[in-house]
Amino acid sequence: MFEELLEDIAQKNALREVNPYIKLTAGLGAILLCLLSTGYFPPLFIALVLTGATLFLARIEAKMYAGLFIVPLWFATMSVAGIILISGGHDIFWRWDILPSLSLSITRESINQGIFVFCRVLGGMSALCFISLTTPMTDIFTVFRRCRVPETVIDLMMIIYRTIFILLDQVVQVYNAQVMRLGYSTWQESLNSFASLCGAAFISSWDAGEDLIRAMDARCYDGKFALLGETRPVEKIPCLAVGIFLILSTAIVIVAGNQTLI
Amino acid sequence: MSSIILEARDVRYRYPRGMEAICGISFHIRKKEKIALVGPNGAGKSTLLKMFNGMIRPDSGMMLFDNQPVGYDTASLRTLRKRVGFVLQNPDRQIIAPTVFQDVAFGPTNLGLPEQEVKKTVTRALRHVGLEGFERRPPHQISGGEKKRVAIAGVLAMDPDVLVLDEPTSGLDPSGSEDIMDLLDELNHEGKTIIISTHNVELVYPWADRAILMLEGKILEEDIPQKAFGNPEYVRRAHLSLPTLLELHRELQKRGFDLQGKKPHTVLDMMDCIETLLEKTSRHPRPGMITICNVDRFNHESLLSWISARPGIPVGAMGTRAKQQAELLQIRLDFTYGVIDKCILKALLGENTLIMTNDSMVQRVNQRVDTYCQESGIRITVSQLGPAAQPDQEENRSVP
Repeated sequence: MFEELLEDIAQKNALREVNPYIKLTAGLGAILLCLLSTGYFPPLFIALVLTGATLFLARIEAKMYAGLFIVPLWFATMSVAGIILISGGHDIFWRWDILPSLSLSITRESINQGIFVFCRVLGGMSALCFISLTTPMTDIFTVFRRCRVPETVIDLMMIIYRTIFILLDQVVQVYNAQVMRLGYSTWQESLNSFASLCGAAFISSWDAGEDLIRAMDARCYDGKFALLGETRPVEKIPCLAVGIFLILSTAIVIVAGNQTLI
Repeated sequence: MSSIILEARDVRYRYPRGMEAICGISFHIRKKEKIALVGPNGAGKSTLLKMFNGMIRPDSGMMLFDNQPVGYDTASLRTLRKRVGFVLQNPDRQIIAPTVFQDVAFGPTNLGLPEQEVKKTVTRALRHVGLEGFERRPPHQISGGEKKRVAIAGVLAMDPDVLVLDEPTSGLDPSGSEDIMDLLDELNHEGKTIIISTHNVELVYPWADRAILMLEGKILEEDIPQKAFGNPEYVRRAHLSLPTLLELHRELQKRGFDLQGKKPHTVLDMMDCIETLLEKTSRHPRPGMITICNVDRFNHESLLSWISARPGIPVGAMGTRAKQQAELLQIRLDFTYGVIDKCILKALLGENTLIMTNDSMVQRVNQRVDTYCQESGIRITVSQLGPAAQPDQEENRSVP
């Protein structure tokens, strides 16, 4: 029922020990550059570099990575098809007037626009994947604290993070117990089982909440959640690599700014 | 006898709209004792344990800590909970933070220690339970035994005087359970009072100083394990089973064998019983030697070469650090629990053995072997591998 969680993969990736700020700079910088770029090439370049980094530096399994990409890629393809057909232009290749007020056309401009949007999606997606597959949540909490996000918010996030996994564990157990007793064999049965699964999850989360308070009390809870662990030192090589990547991408954004494919 | 640290005076407790869970219990626990609370499910063990750190307030009667009645205002509870650490049965419910480091740091941070101090404490606690290098791991990615250790480390970081553990070995494999019991032994040796609840009679029988049998919210029997588990009627009523050693002893007695001395507490005692009975000894004319290696002091290369010079020598490790060291040096361990007794057994067969241990436990090995030598009149040599530069210091323990 449950695939391997992104978080688990992130905890084991080969770039785990690199300072999270460096990884976030690379990822967020790439997203920003994708948004600033006006041509199709810079986002494509960013997508290639970051995908390469994710696959070869962070050693993420290619199959898993492809699986992660397929859903948004599917959405992107459909939207791009829509963009190509609907947005107009001067250089018309194909045209179909369905209704007097609505016509579909494929033009040079619309194709360029479609390719541009598609490449932007690729660039943005690969940057997001890079962040989520190399930087686990536990490291991001440290970054949040440094960015002055209110303590209460971070404490809540940390408790929620921990609870998600406990709850998920419970849900998987209940689900398996239901499957073993043919809980999902018919449509009617699935509906019933799903409802009781939700109920069980609610009850166990309630229980877990009470236990949490007890566990915190037993350890002298005084309004302070734990300190955060230290982050890795900023090392020269990754820092340099990210710097070169961002400078190169910026240069490409400037140079290849308005280039179009056709 | 050391002084009393925890005491209950006729405590009673009833869950809201429920049965009376604790019906008038009185007992006391002395400092540095190892107490096992045993009984069937629903006997009130967990409820009683929760009274030790004030999580449950008795309806009537009185709990005392360090001869002072337990106060239930926030400030007194805080002091009490700092001194009485509680480890829940389910470590998932005990571990609250997203990483091991943060979880262990939770207690000390809330006690108001400065950041540097917290870091030191956490490192020490994790080292103690053998989880160095786990600081940044999230709890859902580590094994059950490791989670248990994180939970124990979280409590150790607050440096309590008393450790209360609810079913510390539930859900662990046999070797994991033995490791936890050995860890508890080590902590006890460092001066902590330890109270556990369990169903595992075999594991707890040689471990505990005193066992408390509970049934339906009352104390059935409270004595040294040989006596507490020695009454078949009580054991049956408490839904437990007789420890194998006691059962064997009893069956032999039933068959008319006149077994001398006290009831056996360990395999070693049983051996002595049987040998006295048969008036025949399987003892080797020259008992083997037990060598102690203090891993905190002794040079690793010399240890490896010492072992390789004696191929096939059985090696035991006591304490977390010694076990870690053994794993690091890829030394195959033959014993990890009840190490001293197993080495004495080997010595009686004329075999030499090596015990890897740490600073605090060296003395304990000496004491145990001394006691055995005095009781049995056999001479077993214990030597310690000195710092690499010095020749082996040999000490003879003997009884004239």
